Amino acid sequence: MPETHTDVDAAPAPAAEETLVEESLVEEVSIDGMCGVY
Amino acid sequence: MRRLLSDAGSDDGTPVTTAVSPAGVAFDPAGPWQRARSVALRPEPFGALVYHFGNRKLSFLKSKTLVAVVEALAEHPSASATLVACGVTEAQRPAYEKALADLARSQMIERRTDA
Repeated sequence: MPETHTDVDAAPAPAAEETLVEESLVEEVSIDGMCGVY
Repeated sequence: MRRLLSDAGSDDGTPVTTAVSPAGVAFDPAGPWQRARSVALRPEPFGALVYHFGNRKLSFLKSKTLVAVVEALAEHPSASATLVACGVTEAQRPAYEKALADLARSQMIERRTDA
């Protein structure tokens, strides 16, 4: 008989905005050296 | 990015204590700001891409609220007023002010002179 896993508690996902606020809201990327890409 | 990080300190390794960087200007939340005229903003599912045609810097804005803030800066007397108008809470405010300071440093936003 196959074993089922129905007793796993799903932790509530944190609010998306809270997660975003904890990390940087801006990420800079350098495109120098991307010859041929632009 | 590496160059920007190295710009944060002096040549002899002494930390720079001012918010002014060689690239941009100090960010004052009480001052009037706007999206830089040399910057294009493209909405994306995660927020937006911003590209500066002058210094060729590219940044990701990873919050749609931040995108709204950047777009609305020119309509308000100060960055602080913009944050309030866009619904940024007191708890979120430090992260958004840091984000705007980062954008000022990379010249994505500029201080308005008409206010």
